[in-house]
Amino acid sequence: MNRFGYRLSPSSQIDLDVSDNSLFRQILAGEPGISTCISCGSCVASCSAGVFDKISFRKALHLLEAGMDTEAVALLEGCMMCGKCTLVCPRGINTRHAIVLIKRKLNKG
Amino acid sequence: MTDRVLIIGGGPAGLEAANQLNLLGYKPVIVEKDDTLGGHLAKWDRLFPEGESAETVLYKLIKPVEHTPVYLNTIVEQADKEGNHFRVKLSGGKEEIVSAILVCAGFSLFPAEKKEEYGYGIYNGVITSSDLEKWFKTGKGVNINNPSKVGFVHCVGSRDEKICNRQCSKVCCVTAVKQACEIKEKFPDSEVFCFYMDLRMFGRKYEDLYLKAQNKYRVRFIRGRVSEVSEDFTGKVVIKAEDTLSSKPLKVSLDLLVLMTGMISNSSIEELSGILSLNRAEDGFIEPADTITKMYDSGKEGIFLAGAVTGPKTIPETLSEARASALAIHNYLSNKAIQ
Amino acid sequence: MRERIVFAFDPFVIPFTLGMVFIILYLSVGGFKIIAKLSAEEKMKLLKHTFSFAIFKTLWDIIADCLLHIKIFKRNIRLGYMHASIAFGWFMLIFIGHIEVMLYTPQRMGVLYYPVFFRYFVMKTHETLRGDFFFFLMDLFLLIVLSGVGIAIYKRFRSAIVGMKRTTKLRTGDKIALYSLWLIFPLRLFAESFTAGISGGSFLTISINRVFNTFATNESLIQPVWWAYSLTLGAFLFALPFSRYMHIPTEIFLIWMRNSGIRATSSRDGYAESEIYSCSSCGICIDACPMAVKSENSKLTSVYYLRLMRRRLPESMNHADKCLMCGRCVEMCPVEIDSCKLKVLKREEEISEKRLRMAYLSEVHTNVNKSDVLYYAGCMTHLTPVIYNSLFKILQKSGILFSFMDKDGSICCGRPLMLSGDTYSAKELIEKNRQTIINSGAKTLLLSCPICYKVFKEEYDLPGIEVVHHTEYINRLLNEGKIALNKSGKSFVFHDPCDLGRGSGIFEQPREILMKAGELRFASEERGKSHCCGGSLGSLSLDKEERNGITKAALATLFENNPDELVTACPLCYKSFKNINGKPTADIAQIVAEQMV
Repeated sequence: MNRFGYRLSPSSQIDLDVSDNSLFRQILAGEPGISTCISCGSCVASCSAGVFDKISFRKALHLLEAGMDTEAVALLEGCMMCGKCTLVCPRGINTRHAIVLIKRKLNKG
Repeated sequence: MTDRVLIIGGGPAGLEAANQLNLLGYKPVIVEKDDTLGGHLAKWDRLFPEGESAETVLYKLIKPVEHTPVYLNTIVEQADKEGNHFRVKLSGGKEEIVSAILVCAGFSLFPAEKKEEYGYGIYNGVITSSDLEKWFKTGKGVNINNPSKVGFVHCVGSRDEKICNRQCSKVCCVTAVKQACEIKEKFPDSEVFCFYMDLRMFGRKYEDLYLKAQNKYRVRFIRGRVSEVSEDFTGKVVIKAEDTLSSKPLKVSLDLLVLMTGMISNSSIEELSGILSLNRAEDGFIEPADTITKMYDSGKEGIFLAGAVTGPKTIPETLSEARASALAIHNYLSNKAIQ
Repeated sequence: MRERIVFAFDPFVIPFTLGMVFIILYLSVGGFKIIAKLSAEEKMKLLKHTFSFAIFKTLWDIIADCLLHIKIFKRNIRLGYMHASIAFGWFMLIFIGHIEVMLYTPQRMGVLYYPVFFRYFVMKTHETLRGDFFFFLMDLFLLIVLSGVGIAIYKRFRSAIVGMKRTTKLRTGDKIALYSLWLIFPLRLFAESFTAGISGGSFLTISINRVFNTFATNESLIQPVWWAYSLTLGAFLFALPFSRYMHIPTEIFLIWMRNSGIRATSSRDGYAESEIYSCSSCGICIDACPMAVKSENSKLTSVYYLRLMRRRLPESMNHADKCLMCGRCVEMCPVEIDSCKLKVLKREEEISEKRLRMAYLSEVHTNVNKSDVLYYAGCMTHLTPVIYNSLFKILQKSGILFSFMDKDGSICCGRPLMLSGDTYSAKELIEKNRQTIINSGAKTLLLSCPICYKVFKEEYDLPGIEVVHHTEYINRLLNEGKIALNKSGKSFVFHDPCDLGRGSGIFEQPREILMKAGELRFASEERGKSHCCGGSLGSLSLDKEERNGITKAALATLFENNPDELVTACPLCYKSFKNINGKPTADIAQIVAEQMV
């Protein structure tokens, strides 16, 4: 078999044909608002903990939707649950509830 | 007897409709709640996309209707349909008997102090797009003195569930880009930032303006919504946003922050829609009978609509609609005459 | 008075006796299980309390709460009378019944059914003043109980009569117990009336006996009615554990434990268990709950949460997550069940060791400019710059030097984490902030957010540092003459934020300030009964629409007397109201800053 000097790296491409975003869908069932994110970044901008650590609800949500759960959860570590992101979200997403649900799924998974 | 048509609102839609109705042989009467004609246009300096003077445009609209009767500082208090006519009571005890009514009540600007995290009314360095336009036009209102850094916040009061305005105001993106270019023209050494969620450059030549802002004026477009504004001890405005394209929280100190206030339904529309029994949509704007083929039709016999009373619109769109409504009124009144 | 039945037995006593044996066994096992669930430390507390003088206070509390229902009386006289007449009246019937046995048939003491069916087993031998006196008391208390039952039946159909808008929906166990309870006393009345010719009676039973004698013979009715009476008693006793009336025995237990200083530490420990069973399903919390402004949300109120917990149903989690934690139901609960605490404990159980960690905290410095007054804005106030800006103007005018602890970003106070159930992580934040505050050398910690204020007061160990909310502090500055206000012609209404008013007991200071600033008008529900603004961080899952509904309901209570302006003292309340209120909304600091001389 011919071997080329490169191959598609599964880690750098989101492959929607095979990605498993079941965690995202479970969270979606509990907090339907998360499907309405427009990625404006308000949540990240206002994040109290974001000044100190790499926290991004916005990015976590998109990674989760792509089925990249581990990367997503790493971006929520250190969340102080203060709820500012919920207050500034122009789509009215209950971001805090989504984070709670993700935390709980982590415990059980 | 020539049919009289009452036009509620003396902004671009009302003026253009009055002109067309005159040409079609009717007698339009304009009722305007302010003390001048022209609506928001009268307060504007230059228009996108090519920087036309708002004053020139307004002159072109007012000149043809200078002999049309106008009630200034007047509002409609009551309207009763009596056979083929409307008996309309106006404030100040005046009365008009008309064959049709055209509602061109326009829009209101979102009151920026409602978005309190942006600090409008609290920090001197925070102004609105209309404050800036007034300053361009008259040099008055706000104090802008050779700012080194200027920021524009898009979607203030638009696309925001939190302040109960979901709709896109359509014109603010282009206006922000236009104003950003103008700031750079006036203060070439300044650094200008636009904070946007999505750039909606939907019209002809709007993309050219955007391109000019990027390559001629080096305006920096940052994709992220400003979430918080504070003031530092030197009086500079410090804003927080996320640069979503590089996934980093961002902070910048500005001398001037311009809030692109959106278009919301006219503050007087609640009362007026009650008087005329018009349908209002969830967003507060008037709901026409058909949003594709009959934007001018209120669904109530003899009452027509034009302009931003049915949602955010640009001036060319408003003017086209005014002409369409004038024609619809003509058809309505001619059919009646035959019957 | 002497016995008329040989062996003092008749088969009709069997249903009651079985029921009584069942309930005694059930309660003994249940009580034993609850005590077994307590930790060693808690058991010691219970023991110490039982053998101290404080036990008399507990006994009085039990009488006041379980028999006289004084708390319900304070809420509504008719509702109080309904409860007290049934509870106290029934208790007296049992009590006097025992005295009668003791006096006339001492040989039957200890026979379970004897005091209850005393009138069946005895016959009157001669008239005595003492005997008639007991008969009179028995009839009197029976009448009192019957009047209470009458109101209860009426209340089922029209709850407004007792000052309640809504009442709870019944389950099968409740229905059996309820209908038996309604029947017990009328049946007792008839049973005792029909035997009144033999055993004697008083104004009630004798009269009914005579009336019946005019058209029927009492004797033929005696057996069926005593059977029916015993059967309903048996039914009631068997249904008791599966009904809301379980609150009667459990509440005694609860008061005993509460007065011993025991509190719930998990959503299902011994104390929690007795709280869950102490709920009488009275439904007062339905009217209290802000979520129930939408009637379909009545299901989310504490009474239904406690019911789900009884039945160990998983839906209780959704209920726990929805709760706003405003504390209004706890404030009004006649049994003082701390449902909010139970729900937070429920949330805590969902957080495990794999929680998201606060690794960055060790990197954050704890230095802050030294000054006597340290101001902490907290996360929420950063979104309402008008509040701290106004406050700074006031401080500057008063000549007070202060430093701004979280100017460049807050380490959250920890309360939102605690409310979400993650107490462990909250403790890490609390410790970090504590170090910063102590390093600052401040004597006063000034806060503008009641959410922070409550946690700083209750959970932070800050020796020698006074924690004040800006309403307290501004009022003090006014009283000390450091600032003065121009009284305006405006009228205000004050909204008590949950954590400031109910949560921390600050009601007067903001009102004193506003009375100096203008005219203060009353809201229809205020102070301890203040309605939640809808923005509470306490609720995890409530969505925007539901919150807006609560905000509108709160505004309706606030604008009852048509004030010009709504004033509050919490950034979250301010934000919730501002976008929905048609009239101006302000923080109290804003009013003061605007009207300062």
